[in-house]
Amino acid sequence: MHIIDRYAYTNAIRELDPAQKGGLALIAIILCLALDQPAVGVLTLGWMFALAVLWARVPALVFGRALLAEAPFLLLSLLGVALSVSLAPLAAPAVQLGPLWLGSSAESLAMATRLFTRALGCAAALNFLILTTPLLDLIELLRRLRVPETLIDLMSLTYRAIFVLLESLQRMTTAQATRLGYSGPWRAMRSAGLLGSQLFLDAYRRSQRLQMSLESRGLSGPLRVLPLDYRRDRRARWIGAALAASLLLVGAWR
Amino acid sequence: MTALLELEQLHYRFPGSAEAALRGASLCLEAGQRVALVGRNGAGKSTLMLHANGLLRPSAGQVRVAGEPLVYTRRGLLAVRRQVGLVFQNPDDQLFSASVVQDISFGPMNLGLDIAEVRRRVVEAAALCEVRDLLDRPTHALSGGQKLRVALAGVLAMTPRVILADEVTAGLDPWMRRQVLAIFDRLVAQGVTVLLATHDLSAARRWADQVAVMEAGQVVAVAPSDAIFGDAALRRLIGADE
Repeated sequence: MHIIDRYAYTNAIRELDPAQKGGLALIAIILCLALDQPAVGVLTLGWMFALAVLWARVPALVFGRALLAEAPFLLLSLLGVALSVSLAPLAAPAVQLGPLWLGSSAESLAMATRLFTRALGCAAALNFLILTTPLLDLIELLRRLRVPETLIDLMSLTYRAIFVLLESLQRMTTAQATRLGYSGPWRAMRSAGLLGSQLFLDAYRRSQRLQMSLESRGLSGPLRVLPLDYRRDRRARWIGAALAASLLLVGAWR
Repeated sequence: MTALLELEQLHYRFPGSAEAALRGASLCLEAGQRVALVGRNGAGKSTLMLHANGLLRPSAGQVRVAGEPLVYTRRGLLAVRRQVGLVFQNPDDQLFSASVVQDISFGPMNLGLDIAEVRRRVVEAAALCEVRDLLDRPTHALSGGQKLRVALAGVLAMTPRVILADEVTAGLDPWMRRQVLAIFDRLVAQGVTVLLATHDLSAARRWADQVAVMEAGQVVAVAPSDAIFGDAALRRLIGADE
């Protein structure tokens, strides 16, 4: 969370209009899903990696680690597709585990590969977006797209509250730890429970104080704030065109 | 000359509380004053400030801004909040946006100003509070002192004539405290009145022209700081000799 947030705010294309960055990610995702071919998925991954690392100057390692964090979910869901489980004997290649037969076929493997590369391409596109665009800008983009104000307000308050509550959480954990609250599994469990309920109370009191301070600044209905300024880059269009053309070419070539 | 902000015989009891928080508290502020509000914890300093901004409504007594009694309607409250700004003790309670610019712009946007004017005010308030170079930073990347100055800028962008600051210098290092007091001095030079609730008696003595002393829900004395700190009984009351 923190590391993604940090690069989102410090990367080289932070100032770029989120609509342009979102547009690039969207092109990649749509083509990846529509063309549905392993080569397209892999190419998308390459594109997004290159854009994040060369254009936005996000370290390759950070991009890789974000992808790696998502990989287990992806692999787990692939198991179900690649392997078939049956009570009746399966044709080779298969293994027998007690009463169960565990097998796989060329079709299911091909299906799994397609799914894997497609998901990989989409995940890479989303990673490019979140590593280069702070949530703040994404919320701003949604505001421009006329998402209902109540939702926008909820999102922006939640995003801010995450950091405020994280600070509270750290303070409370330290306070408990100095009084040996985490010496031993039982005590740790008890302390964590207390922490949870206290954090809830803390959040509740904070929300009341926040309400007061917003009212004192003239709150009336939705949270109205200045729209943010962004830089628009002509290159983004060329990149978008090249991205779409290359994905379509690879998709058509097969 | 009419007083800028008058609090007259305010009474208030928090719901569910046995003790009254205010028992006939009165205070009168004029333009361009530097006033420190001192008194023990629970004396009613914060409650008094919440009344001055219309966040709490007294069970008896009256709040007047520039001679006009406060009307507790949407329009009346917006009118008083345009004139009387409140800065809270903990900036994390006030900063609601992850964007510094957007947070500062919230007050002026609520005043219904056009975008260009809001932008101008944001930059002006940020410059006054020395946070211009922080405008593009996310709120959660700021230090405590920086957050406080951003919170202050968010109030100043509404160009109030009275600033109520509740314990804002608590927890600041001496340099940061001096910086905040210097911001207040610049405002006072422009004719703004600053009421600072504080436990920092030496700062109150050096900085304030007037000191108001609260005790058990009442303002028991308002006088130039030398007079307050020269009075043995008042010194005892506010803990100046501890």
